[in-house]
Amino acid sequence: MVITKDTKIADVILKNHNLIPIISRFGIKFGFGDKSIKQICDSYDINADFFLEIVNAFNDKDYLPYRKLREMPLNLTVNYLLKSHYYYNKIKLPFIENLISQLEWKGEDAEKNKSVLKKFFSQYRKEVNEHIINEEKEIYPYILETEKNFLNRNNLNPEFTEKLKTKSITDYADTHEELNSALLDLKNIIIKYLNPPENREITEQVLTEIFRLEKDMADHTELEDKVIVPVAAEMEKELKKQL
Amino acid sequence: MTTNKVSFLILEKSYVIRSGLLKILGDFPETGKVYELEDSRFLFKVLSREQVDVLIVNAKLTVDLTDVLHKIRNKFDNLKLIIFVGTRRSEDNFPGFDLKISVDEPKTDIIEKLQKLIQKIKPPEKENLSEELSEREKDVVRQIALGKTNKEIGEVLFISTHTVITHRKNITRKLGIKTVSGLTVYAILNNLIKIDDAAQPA
Ligand SMILES: [Fe+2]
Ligand SMILES: [Fe+2]
Repeated sequence: MVITKDTKIADVILKNHNLIPIISRFGIKFGFGDKSIKQICDSYDINADFFLEIVNAFNDKDYLPYRKLREMPLNLTVNYLLKSHYYYNKIKLPFIENLISQLEWKGEDAEKNKSVLKKFFSQYRKEVNEHIINEEKEIYPYILETEKNFLNRNNLNPEFTEKLKTKSITDYADTHEELNSALLDLKNIIIKYLNPPENREITEQVLTEIFRLEKDMADHTELEDKVIVPVAAEMEKELKKQL
Repeated sequence: MTTNKVSFLILEKSYVIRSGLLKILGDFPETGKVYELEDSRFLFKVLSREQVDVLIVNAKLTVDLTDVLHKIRNKFDNLKLIIFVGTRRSEDNFPGFDLKISVDEPKTDIIEKLQKLIQKIKPPEKENLSEELSEREKDVVRQIALGKTNKEIGEVLFISTHTVITHRKNITRKLGIKTVSGLTVYAILNNLIKIDDAAQPA
């Protein structure tokens, strides 16, 4: 289904519950009645075109991927990505960590199982956090600066010109693959190798949350790898010609 | 793990039919990458650049089918060919193709045929069925969990770094675990090392 400005936001969510965390990230609260996307966006002061691109891209893999997003101001996408960083770091990862700490086993390996899973997850959290800090401190600001200077390329900021001489957006090491592998490993460990915990309900929740996180992060990474980085790289290339 | 997956290329103009085929292929756990083409312009480019095991081609392809078939058979002799036809009643034979499926066939028939073809391509080897690690591979997992590099592992076990890398690949394929932290968890859970000896997670 292609979502348009006139689509009722309630219908969107009823059709695809995977979009629930997305609309939360835009700050939209439930209880939207029969409001259309346009009405909701107006009342929350959200850029409706941008909102539509995000929900459509995440709703349907075949939706013309990211073409329009590439033409929009990058700070829209960057702001959205910042919100999802917050969601991972402050909401989702602590939530999963807490679930994992509730897993219980019987017998002699109980303590070992508990501690090894906890350690694995806290290591993963640390890696995600480092990745996010690097993006927020280095990559995003450089991307936004590149865009700003590109839009004002007849009058380049001298400080940025210096940066441009030594830096390149392609230098940033990419750890997306590594982070994704850690989640895949965790799924395999729980499904295949770990003694089943006593509390089955919590185990199922842990697994479900990991699958969701994986999907959410895959979409997030796509916006980085297919929208902001390549667009900024294009601009950077043009600007380097001017040096 | 991609090595024991089967990859497909669908050459089909209609989006509706392509999505239907994609959905059916998605039902097989063995299905790896699925490439899609609307026409044959880039067919040979994709075939030579990507690892494709099965080509599904519509019989109504505008260019001369026998010509394409001939070229494919000359260049890619391991490629399996499936012809996709409009109706099952069509008695047309398509010599040179490994399989014929039609638009009006029931799902179960199509699934059964595809299953047979996939098994022909990737017979479930004994080795693949048992995900048990060999003693040597267990040694390697133990060393990884102790935080050793490939070079150091080679020195401890008296094997070349190259052999270590091969072991690591097989370990990952068998276990479905790739990262050092993940392998460490596996080593601890299976008593290959004690939790206090693990280098990671720090
Ligand atoms: Fe990010
Ligand atoms: Fe990232």
